[in-house]
Amino acid sequence: MANKKVNKKDIAKLLNQWRQQFTVLAPSKENGVAQMAEWDGKDTSFLDWYRNTVIPPKASFLPPMEEMFRFQKDKEGYHIELPPTNEHKQLIFGIRPCDARAMTILDMTFEEAYQDPYYLSRRKNAVLVGLGCTNPCESCFCTSMGVSPTESTNVDLMLTDIGDQFLIEVVTDKGKELIAKASGLKEATKDDEAKAKETKETSYNKITRKLDTEGIVDKLQASFDDEGFWEQTAAKCISCGICTLLCPTCYCFDINDELVRGEGTRFRSWDSCGFPVYTKMPMENPRLEKWRRVRQKVCHKFEFYPMTFNVIACTGCGRCIRLCPVNWDITQVLESVPVKTGVRK
Amino acid sequence: MTATDISHRKKFFALGNVYLPHIVVIEKIIEETPGVRTFHFNFKDKKLGKEFSFESGQFGQYSVFGIGEAPFCISSSPTRRDHLEFTAQRVGRVTNALHRLGAGAELGFRGPYGNSFPLDFLKSKNLVFVGGGIGLAPLRSLIWNVIDNRNKYKKIDIIYGARSPADLCFKYDLDAWGKDKTVNMVTTVDKGDDTWKGKVGVVPKILEEVAPSAREAVAIVCGPPIMIRFTFPVLEKLGFTPKQMLTTLEKRMKCGIGKCGRCNIGNIYVCRDGPVFSYAQIKNFVSSEY
Repeated sequence: MANKKVNKKDIAKLLNQWRQQFTVLAPSKENGVAQMAEWDGKDTSFLDWYRNTVIPPKASFLPPMEEMFRFQKDKEGYHIELPPTNEHKQLIFGIRPCDARAMTILDMTFEEAYQDPYYLSRRKNAVLVGLGCTNPCESCFCTSMGVSPTESTNVDLMLTDIGDQFLIEVVTDKGKELIAKASGLKEATKDDEAKAKETKETSYNKITRKLDTEGIVDKLQASFDDEGFWEQTAAKCISCGICTLLCPTCYCFDINDELVRGEGTRFRSWDSCGFPVYTKMPMENPRLEKWRRVRQKVCHKFEFYPMTFNVIACTGCGRCIRLCPVNWDITQVLESVPVKTGVRK
Repeated sequence: MTATDISHRKKFFALGNVYLPHIVVIEKIIEETPGVRTFHFNFKDKKLGKEFSFESGQFGQYSVFGIGEAPFCISSSPTRRDHLEFTAQRVGRVTNALHRLGAGAELGFRGPYGNSFPLDFLKSKNLVFVGGGIGLAPLRSLIWNVIDNRNKYKKIDIIYGARSPADLCFKYDLDAWGKDKTVNMVTTVDKGDDTWKGKVGVVPKILEEVAPSAREAVAIVCGPPIMIRFTFPVLEKLGFTPKQMLTTLEKRMKCGIGKCGRCNIGNIYVCRDGPVFSYAQIKNFVSSEY
């Protein structure tokens, strides 16, 4: 399908058309924290202030807390009941290419071996409408992680700023359906395409932070037992967990029960390898020391995930740098991994 | 290493959603030691119970509803399917709740999860079981499995120890294996008492004394991490190669299926890629992460 375009002032109209079929989520500030939230049908001011959300869009697929099932006991024993299924189809409007890439990375974990029904049903029912990033942050390093700030690879539709309008690339069949159901769109002209190309190039070049990940798996393997390096790396970390909880590719979760007046719920909630309790067993804790936890975080993303899925579990979104209260910087850490000969395995 | 292939494993998806537990009923509770109990259980739905199958070494996630879930290996043998068993030491929130339950109580059960002891690899070999404390639980599923198919295996040595005579688990099994003339059963305690007539000494030391031959042998080790750490060097001294040493590991787990993240050692998830590993697979991590 040929590319389309839409006037920026018509975005609300477009979203309202989609809103008839989807729960439309768009960048919003809830209590001052930027995140994807249900769009109110009017406000498109995010087009002006939005750079990226603080809470990554993964929260719409793996919520910070979600009910897995309910249980109840009567004379016959325990009964288990699934929560009412959420049939709402979500349309995420304005997802950045780094975060869209993160969803593809998360899919690998949730699809692998045993299927995760909660995450996967949300993913199946959702459409992603990407919005190219033209004003990246200083902490962004997506281009070093193989992501362009305007790329369309992991979304269904991709919007690129071409002045008063957005160029719309139709990427998937889901995207084609969205376009078929929308009125008020125009065909993109050659001139529009040229403008989009220019925007993409300019945006790409705005990412100045670089990280060289060449040979990173081998380097981390060789330095796994370098306690001194990891202690130094972890020195200022305060184990707050922000870099993992707000990482778009982090997925670790906890499972707990709650029982209120005989009504039981099992729920899962985000968890973090940064917390000592995460691995705590009654008799011991393999990651009691902070440096072991920091090592786990770094190696999981840049060593273990590539070993298992052949991709680095980082998209360069920069949140862990931007949001860290003590200015811990993953790009500096990775660049300071000592180069060693003699690989661990 | 790539994403784990679980296609050949025993799995049970009767409920579709992998996180939903099946209801099982505790039929009998055996007090192994003060603080360690074995729970005999069966599926509440008899039909599901018949469909269920597992292999020695696999584990389950057991729910005490309202308290939470915890992983335990299935400690009974798949060759004895009158009921299933697991053994739990009273140490944490879930196990304390478990120990308050009596026969007839209902639990949630998900599983079987994880890999299992490689029976094909063990076939026609001499087997050396080295266990400590409650670490005998996963070994005992395999030991009964092997005894019930005795002609498939050669010599069987079992070296098992606990801190004191009162801390020995599965005394009824130790008796049965002691009487079995096809099994060399050695029981030891770290510290004996007036009535103790067996060996005295920590498991790795007694293993060195017994000195089973490494020829066509496989050692299967499970016990507290400290015992495992000291046992591997003894086995190496006896001539066992890392591939001839198997163990089954324990970690904090929540999901049991390689998602929630907490049980990994390096790129290995204990729940998904284990819990059974050869020493060759894990030796680089034993010192630093286990």
